[in-house]
Amino acid sequence: MRLVHYSQDAGLDGMWHAAFVRSPVPHGRVCSVDVSALPPDCVALLPQDTAALGRYGCQLKDQRVLADPARFVGDIVAAVAAPTRSRARAAAQAVGVDFDELPAVFDPLAAVAEGAPLLHPESGASAQDKVSIGVRPLPGTNVCHRFRLFNGDVESGFAASAVVVEETFRTASAQHAPMEPHATVARWTEDGRLEVTTGTQTPFNLRDDLAGALGLEPERVRVIAPPMGGSFGAKTFTRLEAIVACLARKAGRPVQAVLDRGEEFVTLNRHPAVVRVRIGAEPDGTLVAKQLDCWADTGAYADCGPGVATKMGYAGVGPYRIPHVRVDALAVYTNLPPNGAFRGYGATQSVWASERAMDLLAERLDMSPLELRRRNLLRDGDRFATGEVMRDVHFEECLQSAADAVDYEDDPRGKGLCVLLKGMQTPSRAAISVERTPVGYVIRSASCEMGQGIRDSLRLQGAALLGCEPGQIEVPDPDTDSSPFDTRTTSSRSTYMMGRALADAVRDLEAGGGERGYGEIANEGGLDPDTGQGIASTHWHQGAAAAQVRVDEDTGRVTVERLHAAVYAGRVVDRAGAELQNEGSMIMGLGTALLESIEHADGQITNANLSDYSVPALGDVPAEMTHELIERDGAEVHGLGETALPPVPAAIGNALASLGVGLAELPMTAERVLEALEARDRQAAGAAV
Amino acid sequence: MTAWLAPDSLEEALDLRAERGAEATVLAGGTFLGILMNQGFLVPDTLLSLGRIPALDGIEVVDGELRLGAMATHRAVERSAAVREGWPVLARAFSLVASPRVRNQATVGGVMADADYASDPPAVLAALGARVVLRSARGERAVGVGDLIQGYYETCIAEDELLVQVRVPPSPGRAVYRKFRSRSSEDRPCVAVAAVRGAAGLRVVVGAVAERPQELPDVCALADTSLPDFELAAEIGRRYSEGIEPMSDSRGSAGYRRKVIAAEVRRAVEALA
Amino acid sequence: MKVELVLNERPAALECEADEMVLEVLRREGLTSVRATCGIGICGACTVLLDGEPVSGCLLLATQAAGRELTTVEGLPAEHPVPRAFEAEHAFQCGWCTPGMVLTAKRLIEETPQPTDEQIAEGLGGNLCRCGCYVKIRAAVKRAAAA
Repeated sequence: MRLVHYSQDAGLDGMWHAAFVRSPVPHGRVCSVDVSALPPDCVALLPQDTAALGRYGCQLKDQRVLADPARFVGDIVAAVAAPTRSRARAAAQAVGVDFDELPAVFDPLAAVAEGAPLLHPESGASAQDKVSIGVRPLPGTNVCHRFRLFNGDVESGFAASAVVVEETFRTASAQHAPMEPHATVARWTEDGRLEVTTGTQTPFNLRDDLAGALGLEPERVRVIAPPMGGSFGAKTFTRLEAIVACLARKAGRPVQAVLDRGEEFVTLNRHPAVVRVRIGAEPDGTLVAKQLDCWADTGAYADCGPGVATKMGYAGVGPYRIPHVRVDALAVYTNLPPNGAFRGYGATQSVWASERAMDLLAERLDMSPLELRRRNLLRDGDRFATGEVMRDVHFEECLQSAADAVDYEDDPRGKGLCVLLKGMQTPSRAAISVERTPVGYVIRSASCEMGQGIRDSLRLQGAALLGCEPGQIEVPDPDTDSSPFDTRTTSSRSTYMMGRALADAVRDLEAGGGERGYGEIANEGGLDPDTGQGIASTHWHQGAAAAQVRVDEDTGRVTVERLHAAVYAGRVVDRAGAELQNEGSMIMGLGTALLESIEHADGQITNANLSDYSVPALGDVPAEMTHELIERDGAEVHGLGETALPPVPAAIGNALASLGVGLAELPMTAERVLEALEARDRQAAGAAV
Repeated sequence: MTAWLAPDSLEEALDLRAERGAEATVLAGGTFLGILMNQGFLVPDTLLSLGRIPALDGIEVVDGELRLGAMATHRAVERSAAVREGWPVLARAFSLVASPRVRNQATVGGVMADADYASDPPAVLAALGARVVLRSARGERAVGVGDLIQGYYETCIAEDELLVQVRVPPSPGRAVYRKFRSRSSEDRPCVAVAAVRGAAGLRVVVGAVAERPQELPDVCALADTSLPDFELAAEIGRRYSEGIEPMSDSRGSAGYRRKVIAAEVRRAVEALA
Repeated sequence: MKVELVLNERPAALECEADEMVLEVLRREGLTSVRATCGIGICGACTVLLDGEPVSGCLLLATQAAGRELTTVEGLPAEHPVPRAFEAEHAFQCGWCTPGMVLTAKRLIEETPQPTDEQIAEGLGGNLCRCGCYVKIRAAVKRAAAA
């Protein structure tokens, strides 16, 4: 049986193992670090070793190699390396750290309120630390980014609306829980270059962050990215690499870090969010105005919180024609582990709110939720709230496919729908090279394999373009020394962007004699963070889902009997791979909808294991689970690695709502459902009196 | 460095127990111990393995009484023809534990000695009137499940004792085991109900909601007068719900558990009608 | 200490400490199909067969395997029907959980030659796949069963 080799499978001679000293307090200055009890044969990385190193971060430079102050329970304040993992762990426990505790805050609304403790008073929420002009921190606050979108005039829009509905929705934090934990090996070469082999989706971002932190030119840092045992966004940007690099330098030998499962819960999680939706419509359901206020809890460090808040903001508008729109989305610091990229990238949280609100509106209008959506869906040629003109639009087909799959139009009881749009990272750049080999070709691409099948996709596309068999094409692991630049492997962009770059490279190869070719594609655009106008996405990820549910009225337990997702694929490159992405997204969506929530007490994660944190198992797959990949002749490849996740919770939530069980918070646990059932029955009893 | 002791007779094991006491950690199947060791909660000085003691894994029926050896795996109990025929509710309860993997390794003795509140077997064994045999160099005693389990992960097993067998009286009549999971299909139980009805009356034990399996004999006595009908079952459910102080964990709050206890006890009693 | 056993059908003597799990010891032998994942025996990614029955490699002490047979996927013949079925159905994405799935499915089919969907869910429920390949995994098990 063919086995994949992951980053922890490669050991290097003389390699030592890292363990981390983590803060037990949610917010505190490091007063002293006592290493007197440290065993002799190990190396410790202490605050004085890293104090002079640069700050880093993918969107705001608010992280240091070792934290001081510690800003969440689990923040790494020191590290040790020892010959074996167990000795490293024992050594880490022997390090004593004294903290001067500071007040902490654990909720984004509390964090923006008057008097909230500031997590980054001197840095981070500051214009100097922005990585791009698209980031808008509010100095002197815990807001590390504010995204706003204005289209028309919502006040007059609401005034002109016959019906206005408003509700606040919440989404819990979640853990990506890739089966493979984070694993990194760092070594310094004899001439002082840093080589990092790590599971990552973002090799070039990482290289730049490491170079900046360590005061090196980017060319003096090499990042190699072996395939990952799943990631879903967890293995992005800089996680352990800077610390491990410093440990390796101090130890004078390669050092490896592999996290245990408990540590995975304090490394990177999904943004919990509060999303308030206000939506106004005419009596016939034509949408007039929509206001969306989002508070995305980005945890102790910004990471890509600004990007997530932005996407949350515009995805929350939904695939609808709405003349008056206002969005105000904040990425807010709290003393919890950092939140970052998570499959769906903000869309899950705002689609939950937006699509549940649509059903609330439908109820107020005494209208079918399907009909309400149909009336307002964007079509080719319409302008989206960002000002961009929509093309290659298939929302109606996606929605119809979903509705048909559960016979919605025959009887909508116990059934719910959701239709969404999400964007693809814009701007971005992808480059690729192709070289002839004795047996075929080698394609060098920095797209990282995490199970999504990008390597297979490149082989298939390459084979078709080059006229050979996929098996003749070698696709080595991304290596910043030899792979051409790619923005990063996120946002369901790789098959599309790399595929286009590959076509370009093959044209170059053919024009140049057949030995080698290089191709580069850029998609331009971006949104003005103050107005939300511009190009959010060169093309749109479009999808819909439908769910049919049954509820045990004595326990609140929800059984999803039927679940369907329809996704616009444009052109499918690797059918099995695309099916797996849809199915996988749906199952992950099921987890978000019903099972998953990171719990904490005063900032300490209390369910940091795979028993107390519940993820879907085989028995949780709905009895009827189907999906559709919608294609059109001559269409562009549309990424679909995430699209079928965000609509699942809203479809289930709307199905429950059709039974009188209205929930505004994810996950829809049995306990919450039971409370909603009791509220429904009390109301019915009250109405009957 | 952890020392390894693997006696090949029960007598030797008991002598070692008397000698070492708490210093030597008893190893049966090793699933629970493995979790503690992997999490760093336990670094044993010495492991005392029961794996080489002959006949400690036996499953037999003697004079109508089921005798489960401490080292019998969950899988062996689940599959035993004798258990399936004479105590089908027990085979079912054991078959519902975790996964085939865990059941291939975890033992009868282990699960009882661990006293993990979220386990399935204790509630069913309690409802069946099982007794647990504890042996030491001093002698032997048998205690009921309610006496064995004292609190969270706490039993009455003395430092020189080993749990060697679980004895289950002839099955009284109808029995049912309900395992309510509040989250995934693989979740540990949120509320578990074992209900047995025989000549001696109704016995209902609720597990997974508190540190020890919960039983309210006075409430069950309500059923002695007649076969339970729906209202009686609901009444028993309601009283169990009021009479138990459940705990909160990631599977549900105390308040939620109360509500589910009422429903699940009612359903269990209805199933015995 | 040295633990003597049969590993992938060959006699072996594995050097280990008394408190080491089979997982660590097998990885040291280069058997990277056995993977440290959850540490609590929940996920199945470290599944090995002990005398043909699946157990968690992270919870079984190496010493407990003395005198017994351990099997990992590296020990399966190249054309074994179960991995072949997984390949044919493309019942994997990142591949991390696949060895555990294959070994568990192998045993399930041996015990239950024509498993129903329910039996598959029960038999493989303790093997988590975060990539969410369950639909194709179920199809692979049925395909292997029919082979």
